[in-house]
Amino acid sequence: MTSTGSSVSSGSATGPVTVQSNLSAPSAKAAMQALIDGFNKKGASQSTLNTVASETFRTQLPTYLTSSNPPDVMTWYAGSVARSYADKGLLLDVSDAWNGVSGYSDALKQLSTDNGKQIFIPTSYYFWGLFYRKSNFAKWGVQAPTTWAEFLQVCETIKSKGVTPIGLGADNSTPWVASGWFDYLNIRINGANYHRELLAGKHSFADPQVHKVFDQWKTALPHFDPKGTALSFQDATTNLLQGRTGMMLIGTFLLDTTPKEDVDDIDFFRFPVIDPAVPLAEEAPTDGFFASAHTARKPQTLEFLKYLTTVEAQEAYLKSSSGSSLPANSAAKDAGTALITKGKQMLQKAPDLTQFFNRDSSDALQPTADNALIKFIQHPEQIDSILTDWQTAAKKIWTS
Amino acid sequence: MSRRPLRTGGYHLVAGGISVLWLLPIALVLVTSVRSFDDVAANGVGSLPHSFTLGNFGQAWVDGGEFQAMVNSLIVTIPAVIITLALGAISAFALSRYDLPFRRTVLLVMLAGNLLPPQILLVPVSKMAEMLGIYDSLTALIGVQIGFGLGFYTFVLYGFMRAIPNEIQQAAVIDGASPMQIFWRIILPLTRPALASLSALAFTWVFNDLLWSITVIRSDTKMPITSALLGLQGQYVSQWNVIAAGSVIAAIPTVTVFLRFQRHFVAGLALGAVK
Repeated sequence: MTSTGSSVSSGSATGPVTVQSNLSAPSAKAAMQALIDGFNKKGASQSTLNTVASETFRTQLPTYLTSSNPPDVMTWYAGSVARSYADKGLLLDVSDAWNGVSGYSDALKQLSTDNGKQIFIPTSYYFWGLFYRKSNFAKWGVQAPTTWAEFLQVCETIKSKGVTPIGLGADNSTPWVASGWFDYLNIRINGANYHRELLAGKHSFADPQVHKVFDQWKTALPHFDPKGTALSFQDATTNLLQGRTGMMLIGTFLLDTTPKEDVDDIDFFRFPVIDPAVPLAEEAPTDGFFASAHTARKPQTLEFLKYLTTVEAQEAYLKSSSGSSLPANSAAKDAGTALITKGKQMLQKAPDLTQFFNRDSSDALQPTADNALIKFIQHPEQIDSILTDWQTAAKKIWTS
Repeated sequence: MSRRPLRTGGYHLVAGGISVLWLLPIALVLVTSVRSFDDVAANGVGSLPHSFTLGNFGQAWVDGGEFQAMVNSLIVTIPAVIITLALGAISAFALSRYDLPFRRTVLLVMLAGNLLPPQILLVPVSKMAEMLGIYDSLTALIGVQIGFGLGFYTFVLYGFMRAIPNEIQQAAVIDGASPMQIFWRIILPLTRPALASLSALAFTWVFNDLLWSITVIRSDTKMPITSALLGLQGQYVSQWNVIAAGSVIAAIPTVTVFLRFQRHFVAGLALGAVK
């Protein structure tokens, strides 16, 4: 069981492709192993899986990439975050693996492209929404809202039943959860393009447009769980399941921590419309793989990456995983539950997709957002100084 | 007359209260380790258990790769402790029993290394390990543990050896003992209590270290137990019941060592207190 990856010690160009994975949850790890086994069974080249804790992976990724004997393939995220590594010359040009690939949308290819070259292989994505328990909404007599006014009305009703309307799990282990609120409010108010430009450093966090985001947020803030910044996302999910909170803005990975008998009771609604004139973009974080520019096994690595794009590989992965994500290849079958189908349709109709705060910016910018947003949730009256501080911190990262 | 029972009662109440507070987290880990995941997910980590299972231990041991990790931890810890203490004893002997030039400076430099926060050395250490070609091997981890432990152990043993009366050594010199014999047959036996308690401490420190192992090791098959425990935490979702079971298993060696060396350990705590 544990003899899966003795990997990296030899520099020879003939050994198996080494895959460094941050998917350390048991179901995801088993799914990765199924993927690797599928590739090895084909017999052409071999691969080995090496799983490290996601926290360790996050901090060590720059070390892996700059190492003289790096892992060949690594799990990570699509978007600016991958480009930021590509711009430093650390990622392999994987255009060859993209050649002749079917079932991939142009948008996904665009997302994986940096300076005309493909540097990323997306394999799955998921969606965000406001998740709730159907039975609780029925009990409280509320319906999923579509506009902000209706949303606040629903919050009032839930509050009148003695329940905290909006759950949050943004303690110091999962502070980035709060960025979901910032992303969505900004996308709904200022649009997806402004959002991406802001994260790329083309606007200032102290701009009036960003102030508008927080003014809007303030109208919902009294409905937030006051303990939300002292709970992990997992504990916040427990509160939601127990009916102590009404709903929670989160990604589909919430299903991974929901007991099986409760999964069918979980539903979600799209983040409410704020300005009808702004197109309804959605968050669709895309996961996948990139390869090190210093790999000694380029042909085998490209072969492995090409395999990852196939229907066969993506179905093998999804069948073993918890099934809370969607395959990147449109020809591959997803879990097919009502919730997943609903989410898939929401994304298909969306005129534009964003990734998530860290993925649309960089791993370095995320902590500045965590600081600012947590402080805002705790002390909304200090928003002016919070935004100027955020801009100062972000500027250091953009100019470095 | 009536004050005494009141005072005794108060003492037991306060001391008992503190003990309960102290033991509560440990009890929580023990209870969580026998709950099912669905129970933890539905009712929260802090709630009363609604389920009982011993499967978590098996899951941590087999699926979590704890067996291999435990072997790795022992492969690192045992040589690291023995070599560090041996080197520490030799250098402490030289520094405390002989009037070497610059001995205070040497001692201070060794200690100064321990005062640096290890975080600033992470990148240099991993780069150096890579240059030496030992990155991602247990040898690298043993080397790092020896390097970082040596200064402190030398310092403690120095203090202890210096307190040994000079007359004992002078008598040995008159009898014609060489420095090697003095070290081996006189000083080292007298240092045994200090060595015993230090080895228990060192074992705990090295065994429980996480920072250096994730800095110099990349393969999951070579990770020691602490990073294997970390690996049980998922990207989004952590199975707290399995992690708790894994923690209980991981605590067994250190608890065993502590119980075995308990007597020396308590005596050793007073090491620096009286000179």
